[in-house]
Amino acid sequence: MNAFALEGSAIRGRGGAGSARFMGEPDMRGTSQTGRTGLLHLRALLLLGARQRLLIVLALFVGVATIMLVRTAYLGFVGAAPGETTLTQALLPPRGEITDRNGAPLARTHPAYALSFNPQAMEDEGSPLVGEPAAVAAQLRAIFPDLKEKDILAAFASKRRTYIRRRILPEEANRVYELGEVALEVPRERDRHYPQGALAAHILGFVREGANGSLVGRLGMEEVLEERLSDPARRAEPTALSIDLRVQGALEDELGRGMLATDAKGAAGIVLDVDTGEVLALASLPQFDPNRPDAQSSPHVFNRATNGTYELGSTFKPITMAAAIDAGLVRDLSAEWDAGPLAMSGRTFRDYKPKGKTLNIAEALAYSSNVVTMRIADALGPERLRPVLMDLGMNARAEIELPARGKPQWPAMGSRGEWSRLTNMTVSYGHGIAVTPLHLANAYAAIVNGGIYRPATLMKVEPGGIEPGRRVFKASTSSRMRQLLRMIAIYGTGRSADATGFRVGGKTGSAEKAVSGGYARTALISSFAAAFPMDKPRYVVVTVLDEPRGTIASSYQRTAAWNAAPIAGRLIPRIGPMLGVRPDERRDVDISDLAFLIEGRR
Amino acid sequence: MTAPASRLRQIGWIAVLSLCTGLFAVLSVQAQSVHSAVSLAERQIIALERDTAMLETEFQARANQRQLADWNSVEFGYEAPRADQYIDSERQLASLGLPALPGAPDPIRIARADVVEAADRQRPMVSPLSGEPVTFASARRASDAGAVFTDAFGEFLIDASPLRSGEALALSTEATR
Repeated sequence: MNAFALEGSAIRGRGGAGSARFMGEPDMRGTSQTGRTGLLHLRALLLLGARQRLLIVLALFVGVATIMLVRTAYLGFVGAAPGETTLTQALLPPRGEITDRNGAPLARTHPAYALSFNPQAMEDEGSPLVGEPAAVAAQLRAIFPDLKEKDILAAFASKRRTYIRRRILPEEANRVYELGEVALEVPRERDRHYPQGALAAHILGFVREGANGSLVGRLGMEEVLEERLSDPARRAEPTALSIDLRVQGALEDELGRGMLATDAKGAAGIVLDVDTGEVLALASLPQFDPNRPDAQSSPHVFNRATNGTYELGSTFKPITMAAAIDAGLVRDLSAEWDAGPLAMSGRTFRDYKPKGKTLNIAEALAYSSNVVTMRIADALGPERLRPVLMDLGMNARAEIELPARGKPQWPAMGSRGEWSRLTNMTVSYGHGIAVTPLHLANAYAAIVNGGIYRPATLMKVEPGGIEPGRRVFKASTSSRMRQLLRMIAIYGTGRSADATGFRVGGKTGSAEKAVSGGYARTALISSFAAAFPMDKPRYVVVTVLDEPRGTIASSYQRTAAWNAAPIAGRLIPRIGPMLGVRPDERRDVDISDLAFLIEGRR
Repeated sequence: MTAPASRLRQIGWIAVLSLCTGLFAVLSVQAQSVHSAVSLAERQIIALERDTAMLETEFQARANQRQLADWNSVEFGYEAPRADQYIDSERQLASLGLPALPGAPDPIRIARADVVEAADRQRPMVSPLSGEPVTFASARRASDAGAVFTDAFGEFLIDASPLRSGEALALSTEATR
């Protein structure tokens, strides 16, 4: 390099001398040898020009070499290119993970590939494809045999960028690259994947693609937790829901089986922790698959467990009984109540299957007597029954995080919303009021847990983070109700749910569906609300079937004792051991002081 | 003498300076190479983490609750444990070993099979490829000097060779043939 520089300066020096000579030329030209000097001058001029050009080229090379050397040295000493991402940044998921209470993943985001056709890829007027469209379509079908040639050609004919396939595997992407078609693009996208498929779909919801490829949650917890799942500071940590995957699986399995066996239109089920309000499982059948991109247009997006309001029928009777015991109206459970027909506002109410002229409280519940419940509610009066139902949250939307929460059909008759005598009496056995299955689960939790109402939650509750709740019933009322509910499962309509060793107590309910101008005779909502183990209640289970039919599996019966209760009877032994409830045949809630009420007469 | 001494000193300083510069350059380059190795490892970690997440999800998807329930209903038929299948304590577990009545046979019985004869009936080990009997180096009789040498050589091979010992033994058997 030095040599070059020296030579350069030498040339410059000579050039300088040359130009000096040139300056002195005119006086020489004037005297003699004009032709020869002219030639000499021309030669000097040409030489000078050539040297200058050489110099410029040399300077250029030197400059480029210097820049390269400096860059090499910079890379060598300072290193890496700017904009390098750190490890934590690279490992940060584009959208947070959702897990169940034990950490099993329910929703995850992965990098994924799509296959799309871009007609503007060539940026000219000609065909965007190199080969014949039919030939390219055949090559694509060799990679994706399930694609239809018609669809591929339709995509090739479109003027806008079109998806040919929404998700392809990396090896398939490589094979598409090998076709050498510029217009076939393989954009990298983010894929929100639900490994459990349709399981817990109504809880999780799904995602839609928002602006610039980001994912936006819809419907379920994806929508509720949107902020947290997309926040870069918090999304590295998975978000734990309160549900237990295994319990959810068992609930959906048993509900689905029960629904198929009774040819029902739909089903809903809830498993609720009575002490914390955590929802262990919540299902609405039929489900939808959140993995499908057209999830939102599925007809099954409607959530029957939190959004559907139904007249749940006799499952309300324990609430009325609890209110009557709590108010001190029913002190003596052996008192006999008139079970004869009840004439009221021009209608006569009768029991479905009359069990005698009079019934005591335990019998009224076990045999599900409408008229005795109505007479108790009448004696209680709306001013004492209505506040209890309001305390149980039956007049407002259910308290849970999900955005899909149904508004109950709360009877409001008078000017200030007070109830008439008849309304009070029909509400007492679950008619004229429509609530969601979740309302019922919350109410049963309050009945059995010592009388405290707590809102349901889908977020995992840390120990010590339990809601204080509000007291609806006295603890003594609650312990009486445990005995009575257990007696229904031992002697009454709940026998088909009495799983051995699990001390189940619960009440069936079968209500005719309300249609415009009355009740449908054949369309029923059958429900079963239960808690276990009754000596120390831990979980409430609610199962609801929408329009079950009498099939051979339900002995041609449509009432809850034949369809909704057996579902709980099969479900509880499956989930009990997972939830830490050990079946034990030698333990039970003590009903010895009440057993004579039913056994005495049998 | 002063002029050459100062020149010598100058040359010495220059030498020290260039040595330091050279060392610094070497060190920087080495630091950079370590840095790039770290970033390479990080990239590998990212790829592996993604792979792990992918495989975990695939595993979860293949073993999802509905699939397990289907397998159970079709193939296994497992049911939830009944109440009488639980045991309260170690004492109850131990009580299962007691005879039902005095004088009744002990519910815990131990069966024993004699395996001494079975050893005699063992078939000779054959090579899975050729079907010819394979004799282990240790089992062969050391009658002649050649055999002793091959034995020793085989053991040396076993010790020295990075090959697995089974392969080394096979080598030594071939050497004797």
